[in-house]
Amino acid sequence: MDFFNQVIDAVLKLYFALFSWAPPVWGLTVLSAAVGVGMLWVVRRTSNQRRIRQVKRAVTAALLELRVYADEPAATGRALRSLFVANFRYMGLALKPALWLAVPMALLLIHLESFYGRAPLTPGRETLVTMRMAPGWSADADPPRLEVPPQVRVTAPPVRAAGEREVSWRLLPVSAVSDALVFSVNGVQVRKSIEAGNAQRYVPGRGVSSTMATLWSPAERQVPSSAVEWIEIRYADASMRVFGLEVNWLVWFFLVSLVSAILLKKRLGVVI
Amino acid sequence: MKYRAAMPFLLGLLAAGCSHVSTQAAGKRMIVLGVDGMDPVFVENHWSELPNLNRLRTEGDFRRLATSVPPQSPVAWSSVTTGMDPGGHGLFDFVHRDPATRMPVSSIAEVSDPGRTLTIGPYIIPLTSGSVHSRRAGKAFWQILSENGLPSKVIRMPANFPPAECEAESLSGMGTPDLGGTFGTFTFYTDDPAETRTEVPGGRIVRAAVSSGRAALRIQGPANPLRKDHAVTSVDLIAHIDPKESVARFDLADRQFILRQGEWSDWLRVEFPFIAGLKSASGIVRLYLQQAHPYLRVYSSPVNLDPEEPALPISTPAVYSRQLAQTLGPYYTQGIAEETSAFRAGLLSKDEFLAQSRKVLADSLRMFHYELDRFTNGLLFYYFSSIDQNAHMLWGRYDSDLLEIYRAVDTAIGDAMRKAGRDTALLILSDHGFARFDRAVHLNTFLMREGFLTLDDPASVGDEELFAHVDWNRTQAYAVGLNAIYLNLQGRENGGIVQEDEKEEVARRIAARLKEFKDPATGQPVVGEVYFPEKEFRGRNLQNAPDLLVGFHRGFRASWQTALGAVPKLTVEDNKQAWIGDHCMASAEVPGVLFGNRKFRAASPRLEDVTATILREFGVAPTREMIGEPVY
Repeated sequence: MDFFNQVIDAVLKLYFALFSWAPPVWGLTVLSAAVGVGMLWVVRRTSNQRRIRQVKRAVTAALLELRVYADEPAATGRALRSLFVANFRYMGLALKPALWLAVPMALLLIHLESFYGRAPLTPGRETLVTMRMAPGWSADADPPRLEVPPQVRVTAPPVRAAGEREVSWRLLPVSAVSDALVFSVNGVQVRKSIEAGNAQRYVPGRGVSSTMATLWSPAERQVPSSAVEWIEIRYADASMRVFGLEVNWLVWFFLVSLVSAILLKKRLGVVI
Repeated sequence: MKYRAAMPFLLGLLAAGCSHVSTQAAGKRMIVLGVDGMDPVFVENHWSELPNLNRLRTEGDFRRLATSVPPQSPVAWSSVTTGMDPGGHGLFDFVHRDPATRMPVSSIAEVSDPGRTLTIGPYIIPLTSGSVHSRRAGKAFWQILSENGLPSKVIRMPANFPPAECEAESLSGMGTPDLGGTFGTFTFYTDDPAETRTEVPGGRIVRAAVSSGRAALRIQGPANPLRKDHAVTSVDLIAHIDPKESVARFDLADRQFILRQGEWSDWLRVEFPFIAGLKSASGIVRLYLQQAHPYLRVYSSPVNLDPEEPALPISTPAVYSRQLAQTLGPYYTQGIAEETSAFRAGLLSKDEFLAQSRKVLADSLRMFHYELDRFTNGLLFYYFSSIDQNAHMLWGRYDSDLLEIYRAVDTAIGDAMRKAGRDTALLILSDHGFARFDRAVHLNTFLMREGFLTLDDPASVGDEELFAHVDWNRTQAYAVGLNAIYLNLQGRENGGIVQEDEKEEVARRIAARLKEFKDPATGQPVVGEVYFPEKEFRGRNLQNAPDLLVGFHRGFRASWQTALGAVPKLTVEDNKQAWIGDHCMASAEVPGVLFGNRKFRAASPRLEDVTATILREFGVAPTREMIGEPVY
């Protein structure tokens, strides 16, 4: 799973690097537009375009019928029934491309979260790194040993939260850093990347030990110790400025991909 | 034809006349710093350690500033604000009393509930909005400046809550409540079995149930105004205490942070839901982990109004408090932010109090420097609370600690002097000075001993507040607040027994007894002056005025029990609390200070003169009600 995740991340990192000269919103905008086009292609390849066209005509007809025969209850009722039936058919026809798109889109979004979703730590501002231990862990045992890069200080002893099976450390990045924290857990070295600085960058989220869980937390390598469930640094959410407004990256992503799909559907001959 | 030719000239003259004040004052600049509680004697004894004040008095001038009757901050600063004595602005104490119930009420502001509501299940939907309004009468000087087109900025003026409506930028000061509507109620969480109290003045003590190193603490918010039962809102704060180290992790909503023993948290934003997802109130708190082992001891500050989304009006314009917070970060909005209550209750040590107090001062200095840097035109008024609040806890016993606060303010004054240069008028004033508070006087017990107040059972003396055992059918006078005695007047007090025609005689007899009142332990006279508001004040806004105001000699002050209507056993006893300095005495005993970068003409200036001086500086005439004269 690590290999699979790394391949996706490597491609995305390459793409991210191409736009390193510009604010992150530029790269995201181009990527979102390309995804919009990609979605159109998938829809064209996986859906029954002829049937969709027919159903959309039926929807239009029903709407016209409602408008023209607004004074005739019987005709209105018939039109409403047709409208509902056509809508359900349309949803049925859209289901197949939606299913085709769901997995790659979910994977893409999970990976993009590391590029656009988290803000690196601010130098001079403290944060926590927390390690969730596997069941059977005792809070009376010594906490794992932590080594930090020279740009990072540990400003308080670790806190063992018995009820949560968690150990938390308070960290202070004193300057920009792109490195790793190294924990020693029962003799096994466990690494967790740490990112601090001003520029938006690749910021991995939670590192996990379960293979299945790496699907949802793909940015870090699988934690090599069965004594640990996950490790996480509490990064703030990133936001991007678009036309002077603070916008969540997901909102911008869906907006741009949707608009590009709508604008290009005729040119690409796709009915959606 | 002749008149027609002269019209442009006449119109021009008229226009020039209309804009006379603003053109005359255009470009005028004045900085006024209000330093609560700065004492002239302390300053005179430390000139060498206060180089900026020393330079200001030699290059400019320095006088003792006569304070208000009584010398209490909301009263005194209201005199500066309005240029009127208490008889004009109508504030006579921190608390007034409601004559219908004789219960103490805030003298500064009053909250009115929404008029019409709609009830849906457990919820009440207000159809008209409630309001909060100031009890202070008269126009604030910056309102007058604003009406004359003159810019001003007034930051943290005491008794300016809600802030006086005008175009000037202002931030409310002393009197601004916390989110719970009190003057500041802290919470102290502990599982220490030795701590059996649940309430102390200004705070509550909550038992924390610690299990497996985990304690669910609850931060109490405001009563829910949208529920019929007005249930108190709260948010959960989970403390995870390390089993061995003196350190704990706190989880508050989606935020986690670690505190070592003896550390303060940053400001934490807390949302108290009224209707989940629809309506909430936002506050900010600061935590202090006093101890992790063997017992958990956590202090939580009062929940301050969030300056970014204040639930009550704290600034003009309303966005100003948010702009400050976005630039400077969260800041104390509570009127009196220094945590004297927890120190008095023995929950914080002196060093812990000083640490918290320094945070308040740092907050204040950050805001002061920001506004001083931005100041270009008109008036800048800035208020410092730190000397006053620290003097209450340090006066006469910890002079070096107090001097450190004086020095910090002196440095700020130096910055203001540099900004002012020669062209900008600069005034530094305090509302009163300070004295030791050694002996606590139980005025209600004195009234009882002298036959003016009767209990339903003479054995019922004690610290129970709010006149719990007073027989109002046999009581002629009672004391509430720190200097005030009220007659139980027929037609004013509910069930009052003193007839209107007896009023003067009863008041005169009480005054005579007060003048003869000697400390039973030392034989020292307790009271220096007794003031009759009708004679003392020029203003006639006396509907909330006490019938007598007691001016104690230095060293004496009304007890805390007196302030809230208790009748303890003794008339005078040692003040054993950590609150060791005070000023609620005879006004002549505790004058304030007045410094300026120009020579003063006035030999004995008083608070109201400062208002007249500010208006004169900008060429604005004082209102008819103002009683002060410019000091230069």
